[in-house]
Amino acid sequence: MSLSTQDLSVGYHGKAIVKEVSFELPKGKIIALLGPNGCGKSTLLKAMARILKPMTGQVFWNDQDLHQMPSRQLSKELALLPQTQPIPEGVKVKDLVAYGRSPYTGFWGRLNKEDNRIINDVMAQVGITELGEQLVSELSGGQRQRAWLAMTLAQDTPYLLLDEPTTYMDLSHQVELMQTLRKLNSSGKTIITVLHDINQAARYCDHLIVMKDGEIITQGEPENVLTQDMLKTVFSLNAQIHRDPIANTPMCVVE
Amino acid sequence: MSLKTWPLLLVILSLLLVANLMFGAVSISFEGILNGFQADSEHYFTVYEYRFPRTLLAMMVGAMMALAGALVQGVIRNPLASPDVLGVSHGAGLAAVTYMTLFPTSDIAWLPAMALLGGFSAAFILWWLCGNHSSAIKLAITGVALGALYASTVDFLMLVKPLEINNALLWLTGSLWGRGWNQFFILLPWLGLIPIALWLAKSLNLISLGDDSAISLGVNANTLRLTSLAVAVGLTASCVAICGPIGFLGLVAPHLTRKLVGGQHQILLPCTMLVGAILLLFADLVARTIDPPIELSAGIMTAIIGAPYFLWLLFKNK
Amino acid sequence: MDAIQGLLSPSKDVIAQHIVHDIRLPRALLAATVGACFAAAGVVMQGLTQNPLASPAVLGVNAGAALGMAAVSTITPWFGLLGISMAAMIGGGVAWTLVMILGSAWRGGSDTGRLVLAGVAISALCAAFTKALVIMEEDQASAVLSWLAGSFANGNWDTWSLFWPVALFALIGSQLLTPTLNLLQLGDDNAQNLGISLVWTKLAGSVLVLILVGSAIGASGSISFVGLLVPHMARILCGQDHRYFLPLSMLMGSALVVLADTLSRGIIFPLETPAGAILALIGAPFFIYLVKKRAS
Repeated sequence: MSLSTQDLSVGYHGKAIVKEVSFELPKGKIIALLGPNGCGKSTLLKAMARILKPMTGQVFWNDQDLHQMPSRQLSKELALLPQTQPIPEGVKVKDLVAYGRSPYTGFWGRLNKEDNRIINDVMAQVGITELGEQLVSELSGGQRQRAWLAMTLAQDTPYLLLDEPTTYMDLSHQVELMQTLRKLNSSGKTIITVLHDINQAARYCDHLIVMKDGEIITQGEPENVLTQDMLKTVFSLNAQIHRDPIANTPMCVVE
Repeated sequence: MSLKTWPLLLVILSLLLVANLMFGAVSISFEGILNGFQADSEHYFTVYEYRFPRTLLAMMVGAMMALAGALVQGVIRNPLASPDVLGVSHGAGLAAVTYMTLFPTSDIAWLPAMALLGGFSAAFILWWLCGNHSSAIKLAITGVALGALYASTVDFLMLVKPLEINNALLWLTGSLWGRGWNQFFILLPWLGLIPIALWLAKSLNLISLGDDSAISLGVNANTLRLTSLAVAVGLTASCVAICGPIGFLGLVAPHLTRKLVGGQHQILLPCTMLVGAILLLFADLVARTIDPPIELSAGIMTAIIGAPYFLWLLFKNK
Repeated sequence: MDAIQGLLSPSKDVIAQHIVHDIRLPRALLAATVGACFAAAGVVMQGLTQNPLASPAVLGVNAGAALGMAAVSTITPWFGLLGISMAAMIGGGVAWTLVMILGSAWRGGSDTGRLVLAGVAISALCAAFTKALVIMEEDQASAVLSWLAGSFANGNWDTWSLFWPVALFALIGSQLLTPTLNLLQLGDDNAQNLGISLVWTKLAGSVLVLILVGSAIGASGSISFVGLLVPHMARILCGQDHRYFLPLSMLMGSALVVLADTLSRGIIFPLETPAGAILALIGAPFFIYLVKKRAS
């Protein structure tokens, strides 16, 4: 299994936002997409999740053109957590999570034992077991984000794409989420996530991809990517690189 | 909840069905109705030839219009959407009235096809005016404006061609008056759209999570949208061809049902058909019995129930 | 030429004189004044709500007035024109108040779409009740129906003499309101800063609208889209200053309705198509155009 792009350009209304990007995602890692607002990181993620069609170039899944493959088959390989989620009316949390099993169920969406086991597992994993009977519309922003994450996890895919998953969460839930991602990663999932917080990315992710103006500027391990130069050129930020006193990962402190 | 709601709805429906057979210009006892199905009974004509087909039609039309509303609300993710708010009903109505005024002698079996043509044209015009990504309110206003245009064209046609008015007028107020087995058999084949709608239930659940999530769960969002809307237009147009545009039914029934059984379409779609059937049976019963032998049209009753509900939705959706 | 002669030199044996003086003149006068009333009502409503789609028909005033009038003429059919006008005003007033509350438009800058949809729903409700009344009280049905379609076919001097003083009063009143309407365009807050009493302005404006619409509807029946259409056309011609564009709107409204009435007699002679139906056919596409334009 592998996910890669070849001269990929995507955008909206005929205007390219991601420009001729070629790269291969390292398998079995947690990968962060970083960059200033409007650099194209979410757009790139959506192209890899087959939501946006490429204007030129391709996305490859196991050397096959991703956008030519049957959607149903891919839904067992790639799961996406979008940045903003509509609030489905009259749907309970447990039902929402169960929707994540739909690639595996029949036309009527009936759940079998295995489906129910996975649903209960992922709900426990993100800590929403006790919310199961509540309506999604009644949840707080952070709870809703976790319910959606559980739905995505129920899809049980080797690759997980997340678009700013920490946005509506308070700090403790952000930390919890990043630790959950680590756990999922150690059980074999490859995780690609758009993040805003550079230090969070450096601490919890194995591989950083830094974008600016629709192009990939640099990528690699946090040790090598997070430099004073990079922060200056990409984020226009004067910052120093220090060591995180606990995890011993690099972190930036703004001057 | 849904476990209890099902039988309750069925009980209400059966009670209304019996009531519709019993009451009207002449009240018939329950035994009279049972006997009325035999050809030698004194009530045979009233029960079997008159009230029974009309009651069946009310149930079918109510169910189909409610289902159409649920499909449209499902894919447009817009609480204000429904075939009549989007102008589809009136478009279908206009096509049918035009057909009847231009070819007054023609076969009414063609009416559903003409209505379908009108309904699709109306949907297409709305899409052409609004594009793919419009806000809920803008879509609703444009739909309502188009509906008003179609309705005023119908008025105009009827004023210009007063000789054919009887035919058209009967029809356009959203009434079940005088509908019988003939209309029943015209509508019957269109019930075939219901299984298609039910088959979409699972995908409709997923599209309620947004296009992005639906796609990543393996749904082809655009195909689903087109199929659902086409089925909804078909359901609406065939009903409109039989009894004219019955307002607010497609808007209110799915909403009410969502409150009762939640948003899962596997339960929502069947239940909304029950609720739609109940609402129209009730509306027709009241319309027939409020001041017999004069009949109001069922469309008037649904508007009296539905418009306040729409206002409440509008108010709540701030 | 016969017409002018008939008007200027009345002589008992010219048939043209009878037709022009007794039938066509009051009818034309009525049409012109009704047009001016609806146009002025549209201007005032658009000014008050700062909503380009506001107009008596769209915001439910017509349907409410129709319901009021249908209720009076079916339940107590002895009221005469004045009673009908009053009923129309009350019905329209109730509908308009409901729409404004539900569309939360007493405060400026509210969501224009919501206001329109509230108006549409109220219209549908009123129309349903009106139809129910018409069907249940069949004796009065034909009168109410012809009246719903908005026609000048029954216009005569009696109608005119009851109608014109009220209409004149309201038209002058709305002209007096124009400087305030100009200030309202700056937004409620700014208008208040400039010393306008919002409550009184909106109340006075609403009452004027009701008098304009109620009396016009009482005289001719429900005429839609003049109030929506004309202010926009006038605005294109002479800009935003209400002091000039209100009178222009009145003129154009008169012209439009007289034209529609002429057409209504001419289209399928000798049958008459109600002027209201013709105006609706012209007006609805324009409404759609406005909705589309506002979005882009």
